[in-house]
Amino acid sequence: MLPQRLKKTITDNPKKLANLIDLVNLPSPVREFVGQSQISRLGCFMRVWSYIKENNLQDPNNKNLVNCDEKLKSILLGKSRVELAELPALIKLHFPKVPKSAT
Amino acid sequence: MGKVPPSFRPAISSSLTRKLPLEIPTPNHIPEKITKKKPPQHSRKPQASSASGKAKTLFKSPDLSSAKKVFNYIVATTKSSIDLRFHNPSCNPMPQSPPSMTPSPFFITWSKPNHFNMMVNNGLKPNQVTTDIAIRSLCEVGRIDHAVELVKELSLKQFPPDTYTFNFLVKNLCKCRTLSTVYGFIDDMKRSFDIKPDLVTYTILIDNVCNSKNLREAMRLVGVLNESGFKPDCFVYNTIMKGYCMLSKGSEAIESKEARKYLDILVESGHLPDAVTYTSLMNGMCREGNALGAVVLLKEMERKGCTPNSCTYNTLLHGLCKCRLMEKGMELYGAMKSAGMKLETASYATLVRALCREGRVAEAYDVFDYAVESKSLNDVAAYSTLEVTLKWLKKAREQGLAV
Repeated sequence: MLPQRLKKTITDNPKKLANLIDLVNLPSPVREFVGQSQISRLGCFMRVWSYIKENNLQDPNNKNLVNCDEKLKSILLGKSRVELAELPALIKLHFPKVPKSAT
Repeated sequence: MGKVPPSFRPAISSSLTRKLPLEIPTPNHIPEKITKKKPPQHSRKPQASSASGKAKTLFKSPDLSSAKKVFNYIVATTKSSIDLRFHNPSCNPMPQSPPSMTPSPFFITWSKPNHFNMMVNNGLKPNQVTTDIAIRSLCEVGRIDHAVELVKELSLKQFPPDTYTFNFLVKNLCKCRTLSTVYGFIDDMKRSFDIKPDLVTYTILIDNVCNSKNLREAMRLVGVLNESGFKPDCFVYNTIMKGYCMLSKGSEAIESKEARKYLDILVESGHLPDAVTYTSLMNGMCREGNALGAVVLLKEMERKGCTPNSCTYNTLLHGLCKCRLMEKGMELYGAMKSAGMKLETASYATLVRALCREGRVAEAYDVFDYAVESKSLNDVAAYSTLEVTLKWLKKAREQGLAV
């Protein structure tokens, strides 16, 4: 079941694909973190995730949790601890919402 | 329930296409290979070779009128030296050009009356390679009825298609026409031109019929095959087994038992079961919830000297995750990772989901990293799966279905 739904998400749904990979002008906190004026939602996620790994921000006792440093806090709603499970959702908040028109 | 990994199906069809010889290469490579392998025409007049060289480059443009002009010019100026080598590449400009609207009518006007008549009038007979290219190109643009017509027309003119072309056409017919149409075509060819279906044709039919879950028809075809004096080979058995395993669902092990019987028949008739055979059986067992049995089969497979391939491992991983045997699943994943094996979309998705279900999100991220690093999937696909799964996880947690 899942793979079939996925195919619809990625290939058959150009809007969602565009939403993920289009470059976007960013609000300043993200701009500072990323160091670029534009980035795609996917690119942003990859950056944040590699930042977390490089700086060993995962809680050693529970790798599902991330202890945010100042930089990370600035883009993750000021939270000092964040669950890996919510990471994509938090990043998505920075990106413009695509209005759902009649498909 | 579990879906057959997409690369699995081509394993069957690639085993079928293995029977195609190298002289009839895939359409994209035809121009180069034809000019090298064209046997008889040894009259290598320099004009001819330069003409055929030009042909390759000139017909790259999708612009039909300019290409036509060029062709006419060449024909007019180098009359005597045009041989088959020129015509064959020029028959096939279409796959080179981008899939725009113009090539198909262009090609049709070429390959149908004009071109062939022109060739015949110039004293050249379209040979089987020409026919093959024509048929393949027509099928590629979906003009399958034209392809059938062309084959019949050519057969009338004493240029029957060879088995490879014939089988290719049968395969395409199966894809886009009803079974009765296909049978009709085969009967027609048999009656009118004495072109009989061979083992490969039967295998294609059986495969197609199994995909439509019509196992009874498949068995009838096997009967016909036997009556026609053909002995089923490894490919036929693999196809049948795959058919049974695709039917497998739910907790009853009926289908995989049937498939298992075929494995024994295969061995008895002196054939060696290959990785494809075992993988289809494993897939069937996994679909029935018997992932442990599939693991046992893996050991049996290795014992019998049959090396499992990437598809085997992916199928097994997928099955283990679906059956929630995460310990074994992670063990297998670890082994695949150290071997640098690529993950397939289905097994990747299932693995990520299974891990998230158990609250092992960090490990799911790990799998994501591996998928991207090993280029098993592209970034977008890997990330989308992860995102979708995490969204699902949030809902599942709210409903108490996950950790």
